[in-house]
Amino acid sequence: MALSNGVCLVSEIVIDALYKKYKPGLFKKPVEAVAGLSLRVPKGTVYGLVGPNGAGKSTTIRMLLNLIRPDKGEVRIGNKSISAVANADFLQAVGYLPENPYLYDHLTLRELLRFAGKACGMTAEQIATRIEALTRQTGIAHALKRRLHTFSKGMRQRAGLCFALLHDPELVILDEPMSGLDPLGRKMVCELILELKLQGKTVFFCSHILSDTERLCDRIAILDQGRLVREFEAEDLLAFRAGKRSLEDEFVAAVGGTH
Amino acid sequence: MLQRVWALAMVTCKEGIRDRSLYGVLLFALFVLGLNVAVAGFFMRDLGKVTVDMNLAALSFAGLLLVFFIGINLMAKDIDKKTIQLVLSKPFSRGEYIFGKYFGLVLLVLSTMALLLVFSSATVAGVHSMYPAYFEGFSWSVFFWAVAFIALQLALLCAIVVFFSAITTSSFITLIFSMATYLVGVTLEEVLFYLKSQAAAGEVVASESLRSVLEVVAWLVPNFAAFDLKTEAAHGLALEPLRLLTTAGYGFSYILLLLWLATLIFRRREFN
Repeated sequence: MALSNGVCLVSEIVIDALYKKYKPGLFKKPVEAVAGLSLRVPKGTVYGLVGPNGAGKSTTIRMLLNLIRPDKGEVRIGNKSISAVANADFLQAVGYLPENPYLYDHLTLRELLRFAGKACGMTAEQIATRIEALTRQTGIAHALKRRLHTFSKGMRQRAGLCFALLHDPELVILDEPMSGLDPLGRKMVCELILELKLQGKTVFFCSHILSDTERLCDRIAILDQGRLVREFEAEDLLAFRAGKRSLEDEFVAAVGGTH
Repeated sequence: MLQRVWALAMVTCKEGIRDRSLYGVLLFALFVLGLNVAVAGFFMRDLGKVTVDMNLAALSFAGLLLVFFIGINLMAKDIDKKTIQLVLSKPFSRGEYIFGKYFGLVLLVLSTMALLLVFSSATVAGVHSMYPAYFEGFSWSVFFWAVAFIALQLALLCAIVVFFSAITTSSFITLIFSMATYLVGVTLEEVLFYLKSQAAAGEVVASESLRSVLEVVAWLVPNFAAFDLKTEAAHGLALEPLRLLTTAGYGFSYILLLLWLATLIFRRREFN
């Protein structure tokens, strides 16, 4: 997809020396959420971000989406800074699932998804086709007329996935996509991610479930205290999948000493 | 852009309409309107004026409850529950978000007012038919103008709620600031009038500088009293077109200014 200023999302996403501090209270000391994080996410890869709670995974994702601004550093799409790319154009190519998505409770699932489609400029026909396909794929087609406040946690997660993927984005950002899902739901999300990968989409996700991350990703980064502590590429992942090494051991070795 | 604003407005309005608190507000307003019919016969004089005044006051008060409790909640819920992160992950600009939420609130208020107006008109018509002698000066057109200006007043109040929601992090603070602005806006004109009349009569109850400060405040805080046509409607007084035009212009300009400021502030805000 070409953005209006000529930048294409076919290029890689570069997170370059990002810093972000939060002030937890008026008179409290700022907390460093992300400290000099640098990552490269090539187009078409499934990139997994793992780390203990408070490692800065969600903060990184929010900076990528421009929901919060970095104190220092920048996010680039190819060689263009994200601040130079029109935000609406960039977001047109992005699908985002937050951790524990809070949806509009009084809407039905169909109304919520129609809203997502209209927000992305889709026609009514396109919206109807995508709603049918996605809800069937995620197993919630039977609940299209139900209001969202009647949904279980797992169903909300599935509804959030449909909301994120409705406009068929090129870059899919998932924050704990397996959270709240039963084993069948987890399997469905894994298959969905693999399908996105086959379609050439870029998937950037963070998770605590190391076995899934190991199985799905082309690259994995371990974050701790806002810093990148290890990054694994194709060779490491082959070793994980062959059972020669394990991501869990690497994870414990990388962050175990600091907690 | 318009499609996105409209989509968000519709979602906001539907969320408000399906909120159970709305039924409470509606029941309260319907109770007051019904009470009006029940107690109308108790008034020995000015029955027509009391009926019109009570109807308009019920509409206005129901609108205030709607904006203060449901409207603020609709704005705050998005931020507190982080639904805004989902919305802003779609190609919404911050300005489109502000305008979408605002139009959703206004749509909610207008649809509720339209429903209440049906009952209110029926109440007035019912009392009118029972006691026609008390409605000699009554004019339906002035009554509807008064309702239209209540709606404009509420639309301005919605803009105030959106503005304070954009600058504060707590729905309670938004509620306090919005209520305070409304109360000051409703009463300040009367306070200034009182001070001026006292000064004209030679009695000084406030210093010249305090009066100047209050006059500046009167320009800054929207003058809600300007939208109040209850007296004219109750007494069937003729309305000057120029007054209606300038008041409406004042209201719309204020709304645009508030939404523009809210957008500027909202652009800088972070959603963690």
